[in-house]
Amino acid sequence: MLENYLPIMVFIFLGIAFGVGPMLIGYLLGPSKPDEEKNSQFECGFPAFDDSRMYFNIRYYLVAILFILFDLEVAFVFPWAVVQSDLGWFGFIAMSVFLFLLVVGFVFEWKKGALEWE
Amino acid sequence: MVSLSDYLILSAVIFCIGLVGIFINRTNIITLLMCVELILVAVNTNFIAFSHFLGNEAGQIFVFFILTVAAAEVAIGLAILTLLFRNKGSINVDVTNSLKG
Amino acid sequence: MMNTFQFDTALLLVALPEIFLLSSIVVILLVDLFLTKGFKQVTYYLTQFSLFITGLLAFNLIGHPETVIFSNSFVLDNMASVFKVFMMGATMVAMVYSRHYLTQHSLFRGEYFVLVLLSVLGMMVMVSGYSLLTLYLGLEILSLSLYTLIAIARERSGAIEAALKYFVLGAIASGLLLYGMSMIYGISGSLNISEISAFASDANLGSRETLIINFGLVFLVIGIAFKLGAVPFHMWVPDVYQGSPTSVTMFLSTVPKIAAVAMLVRILIDGLGAMHPYWSDLFMVLALLSIALGSVVALMQTNIKRMLAYSTISHVGFIMLGFVTGVVTGYGAATFYVLVYVFMSLAAFGIIILLNKKGFEADQISDYKGLSKHSPWFALMMLIVILSMAGVPPMLGFYSKFFILQQLVSAGFVTIAIIAVVFAVISAYYYLQIIKSMYFEDSEKEIVVSAPMDMKLILSINAILILVIGLFPDFWMKLALSLF
Repeated sequence: MLENYLPIMVFIFLGIAFGVGPMLIGYLLGPSKPDEEKNSQFECGFPAFDDSRMYFNIRYYLVAILFILFDLEVAFVFPWAVVQSDLGWFGFIAMSVFLFLLVVGFVFEWKKGALEWE
Repeated sequence: MVSLSDYLILSAVIFCIGLVGIFINRTNIITLLMCVELILVAVNTNFIAFSHFLGNEAGQIFVFFILTVAAAEVAIGLAILTLLFRNKGSINVDVTNSLKG
Repeated sequence: MMNTFQFDTALLLVALPEIFLLSSIVVILLVDLFLTKGFKQVTYYLTQFSLFITGLLAFNLIGHPETVIFSNSFVLDNMASVFKVFMMGATMVAMVYSRHYLTQHSLFRGEYFVLVLLSVLGMMVMVSGYSLLTLYLGLEILSLSLYTLIAIARERSGAIEAALKYFVLGAIASGLLLYGMSMIYGISGSLNISEISAFASDANLGSRETLIINFGLVFLVIGIAFKLGAVPFHMWVPDVYQGSPTSVTMFLSTVPKIAAVAMLVRILIDGLGAMHPYWSDLFMVLALLSIALGSVVALMQTNIKRMLAYSTISHVGFIMLGFVTGVVTGYGAATFYVLVYVFMSLAAFGIIILLNKKGFEADQISDYKGLSKHSPWFALMMLIVILSMAGVPPMLGFYSKFFILQQLVSAGFVTIAIIAVVFAVISAYYYLQIIKSMYFEDSEKEIVVSAPMDMKLILSINAILILVIGLFPDFWMKLALSLF
């Protein structure tokens, strides 16, 4: 029975190899001769005046979260629109229910004040 | 001609990168979210490849749903992250160590 | 092309409980939005009301002939209806207990109830899912609501941390499950459970097909084990149980387990039942590891929520052993076990919540010192629950373990049954610790039970039923068996 799991073992080992391997190869084989010129800023010719990993205002995240939801739900509307004439009233009502649920979500976030910038 | 097994190997590679990324990542939680997305991308690749070679649309429909669910998942992940940031002032993986027993 | 798509509206009646619940979620969400501060209790009563009606509708559908609707993706059979009724009942009880906790810790918000209802909806979809797509969607509705539910205590860093851990590990589990699903889809060419079953039980299945199904199967089993919290995929369980607000811990440790078992039955038995010899080995290993680790590690816990987490892990092990047997009676025993577990777990967390006060979580085992002096009645209730969890006759918990072991022995797994019994005896030790601190130790701290009357009443009934049903377990066992 145990030999049935051989492919899984192979998969696990290959998987680890694929994940860890390239990093290891880069670490081992890549020449590492830092000097002052190499470590200095490359872009635009002047030293950076801020850390690129700076913090964004938390409100951007909120907008991004709300955007991503409504943005992707719309993906369901396109395939529906293509076959709407075949689906008839059933399709129309089903899509209305779906959009109604989205509107409920929208009302909720509006009333909760998630859309206020200040 | 690209064959089915090529797609499957590609998706297996992406899947493994995502999975290993989650376990060896020790810095930023946003990276964890990206790795989760990689896993889902691998699954999507699988479904689309199978769907194409089987001539069966069910797999593509599944992909649609995975995409939207993934969006909802990321939204919740980011929301939890902002809460974590408010509580701890950092989103490094090592701040999540207070629960032990 | 003219209207080639046919749909019979009468079939919608089959999904009536779900449709009703979704509509009431929308209503409750909007009503709560426009309620002023003093009327927030309305949300609670609306929630209980809609759960009750949903349960009634589901009860009405018991005995309905098996029907598959929505392009073969939603099934109504007796198992689905009975599970739905149980889930509604358990959620209603959980909400009674939650209300006390939420008011004590100023977490009483409308969103809490909406999220609970949403997760219940997800579980109903899971229980009735008849295609990999519906099962996945139900699972995600459930999980996404649970992540948010934990994070509702937004000022507690422990809760946020628990939410994050649950989120990351839950997302990995979904990813693994999906990868397995994609493999099964790729080889069988269908997402539908009955078509997958027809494919898997085909006698002339080539070795290549068997190999690929096996490959997918391993991922499916890992994904399900993650969701159930079986060792070695249990890492999230103790942290999430400890970090979450106790009312959320109670909810997520009870009702979703029914849904997880239902999903297991749909995928691994209805769908891939023909592959039982392949997955039962995996299950056996996972089950024994869970029972062993759950019993041993729980001995070292001082936090009662964390201890109950490990106890859950060992209960999950027993449930999985029921599926190892490969016979219908074994599946029935596992189903019986999960329902009993939900019942006991609700009572145990109910007592933890009962002793909660503003700014005080009764989550250390030492908080129970001297409970028998300050509140002899609830010490007695806790005694019943603990003895039942430990599997002492004649409590309900004894019979659930007994049925599983009986099925294991009659299916020829005698060694496994013996190992399970040994660890069950070890686990009795940490249960006895709680009893010892309740009855034989004393503390200076005054324990005041400030819970409202309805909670005290329901909790007492809950605990006494564990004893009473334990005296007549046959009816419930027959019910569990009739589902397969």
